[in-house]
Amino acid sequence: MNPKIKIWQFLLLLYATLIVFRLEYLVSLAELYFEFVRLLIKQEPNISRQMDFRFIDALISFVFIILLPIVLISVKKIRRLILNPLNLSETVIILLVVCFMFAPIITRQNPNFQKNISVTKLLPPLSSVKYIELKNPVSMNETEIEKFVRQKNSIIPESFNDAVIFIDSLKVSLSKSPESIVKNTNPPLVKYYQNGIVKNIPLEKLIEKNGYPTIKEKYFLFGSDEFGRDIFTRIVYGSRISLLVGFGSVLLSLIIGIGFSFIAAQKGNFADLIISRFTDLFLSFPAIFLVVLILALFGSNLISVIIVLGLSGWMSLFKLVKTEIASIKKKEYFISAELIGLKNKNLLIREILPVIIAPVIVNLIFQFSNVILAESALSYLGLGTGTSYPSWGAMIEAGQEYITKSWWMIFIPGFILIVTLLSINSIGRKINRFYNPKITV
Amino acid sequence: MNKEILISVSKRIITSFVVIFLLASFIFVLIRLAPGSPTQKFISPQLSPELANNVAKSFNLDKPIFTQYIYFVKNIFTGDLGISYNYRMPVLSVVKDYFLFTLFFASLSFLIQMIVSYFLVKISFYKSGGIIDKSLSKISLILFVTPSFVLGLMLVYIFSVQLDWLPTSGIKSIYHEDFSLANQIWDYAVHLILPLITLSAAGIAVFYLYLRDSIAEIYNQSFIINLRANGYTEKNIFNKHIIPNAIRPLVSIAGIEFGILLGGALITEVIFSLPGMGRLTVDAIFNRDFPLVIGCSLIAGLMMVLTNLLADLIKIKIDKRLVKDLLQ
Repeated sequence: MNPKIKIWQFLLLLYATLIVFRLEYLVSLAELYFEFVRLLIKQEPNISRQMDFRFIDALISFVFIILLPIVLISVKKIRRLILNPLNLSETVIILLVVCFMFAPIITRQNPNFQKNISVTKLLPPLSSVKYIELKNPVSMNETEIEKFVRQKNSIIPESFNDAVIFIDSLKVSLSKSPESIVKNTNPPLVKYYQNGIVKNIPLEKLIEKNGYPTIKEKYFLFGSDEFGRDIFTRIVYGSRISLLVGFGSVLLSLIIGIGFSFIAAQKGNFADLIISRFTDLFLSFPAIFLVVLILALFGSNLISVIIVLGLSGWMSLFKLVKTEIASIKKKEYFISAELIGLKNKNLLIREILPVIIAPVIVNLIFQFSNVILAESALSYLGLGTGTSYPSWGAMIEAGQEYITKSWWMIFIPGFILIVTLLSINSIGRKINRFYNPKITV
Repeated sequence: MNKEILISVSKRIITSFVVIFLLASFIFVLIRLAPGSPTQKFISPQLSPELANNVAKSFNLDKPIFTQYIYFVKNIFTGDLGISYNYRMPVLSVVKDYFLFTLFFASLSFLIQMIVSYFLVKISFYKSGGIIDKSLSKISLILFVTPSFVLGLMLVYIFSVQLDWLPTSGIKSIYHEDFSLANQIWDYAVHLILPLITLSAAGIAVFYLYLRDSIAEIYNQSFIINLRANGYTEKNIFNKHIIPNAIRPLVSIAGIEFGILLGGALITEVIFSLPGMGRLTVDAIFNRDFPLVIGCSLIAGLMMVLTNLLADLIKIKIDKRLVKDLLQ
């Protein structure tokens, strides 16, 4: 058996890969932010308007990638954690978190980028498309802010780019167009083909070399969808929605569940009765219908999905914590602690929390995977977090229409969803087994 | 003893009905609070305001909410769920066809889940520790987490698009009426294969994992070792002593699972466009068809209560000691 890789080795590998492949990009990002700060200090008008979502997003990723090694080394608990050997499910989770934090650095494209759909749509995985670029018209007397915007657009990609033309093939000809006869010049024309349609463009407008336009290639690792958007980019960005919804609603469930169970445990019978009946009320009905009902009636966006999924998930936690507390209250150590005269707060922190924390963590991990599943199912039903940001479930839903032509639109996001859920579940089972060891056959 | 059981069961039914009624009231309030009006679909700008008011009046929506609520309560207790805005028919007759389909579909899927998982557990028990056991555990873990829409679409791609063996959606083919009876049944069966697999896979995995875990736990207990020492055969021990003990915690899970299935298998119905309760409910929600939404949710809640009750009764049948728990 080969020696196992430790977690920190894997992290180092990932980090080194990111740095090596994106060094140029990171440097230009640093330049961009330096420029931004300089302009901000100079109080250039309209500069704060450039601070849009994607600009801040890339900034946060940039800060994170600098802070990451410092945090990993300086915090003692994390340092101890990353000395453990790595297994498959942890690899997946680490990759997901890396995608979550560094999405703008991992992939340099906008997840909604679409251009020349006739050429780029429904490409199979591992295919590439040629493209030519228009020259950037650089005016002599551009202001500093215009320069900044140009620089920013070249570094942080927009969802549309005028300068890029995707083509099937091209041909350079010295044909005589009507204008050239009038002007008595003979500029070479570039003929390019886009899915059977022929278009012309003068060569001088393109980025060229030795009288021939430079042809670049764009690779689609996981293929492209019906609008020619890169599926790899969309999956990397889609991990954010999944994790965000997961964390948000699990946190909400945790707060509500723990809060209610403490109230039920302390205030005696009446509050307990009401909350228990309430829990029964919600458990007596398939949760998905209530979730669909609320989202369909009141509109669905990121916040409402998080809130509704969080509200629908606290019941199991409530029941768990309530029974745990009830059993702790009968234990001798708790009774003696009470008799010593500890206050409620101390009882809670010293006697109850350490005991319930293990089952609660296991419950939360399973809840996390349930929420990710629910979010993707809601997106599949069209009740997800909206179309402005890609989500795995919505990608699968889009693929359903093209199931006869393009398997990758369903299989790739589906496979990634399954692997994610499987890893979260296996980590949950592992922790569960650690706290509740059982002898098996 | 029997009298006590009867009293406790009736007590439970009453509390369940109260819970369901509260739930329906909750949905009633929620639905009225939400933006969007059900009349909008039937009113065009050309319509005179009087006629538009008449539409609202015919839906009983012109009165204040409290009066509407009284009507609603009255309707529920008389068993009349009102008239669906969209179908222009009494809710119960709209629901009837969909519910019959769901009843058939859910029961079939539930049976498949129980039987298949039982046999898989049996196989993996006799070959425990072997390749089959290990791979079954792995596969069931994967099936357990696989979202049903991913599984369904993958199955459609493999069996309908690539191999062209099975139809992609619907419940019968276009020329269904021209077939002979045997062919008609065959037609239904062919259309239901993929939906049944999609719906049952996760359930099979859940039952398999639970049963396998509880069998593994019971297998090493002293009464089993005692039986083995007394010379009972493995088959006898498995069938008469391990299974009844292992199945007990599973019964309540099965009750909940069956209840959820009877409420409608929303995702499966959407993938294969089947006429079931799940899609009916969601369509009613989107159409703001208030009486139909309430009717569907009442039925779903009722099914949940009934299956839970059934599960508890079966549990008592298996283990008489549980009567005490139920009575408390």
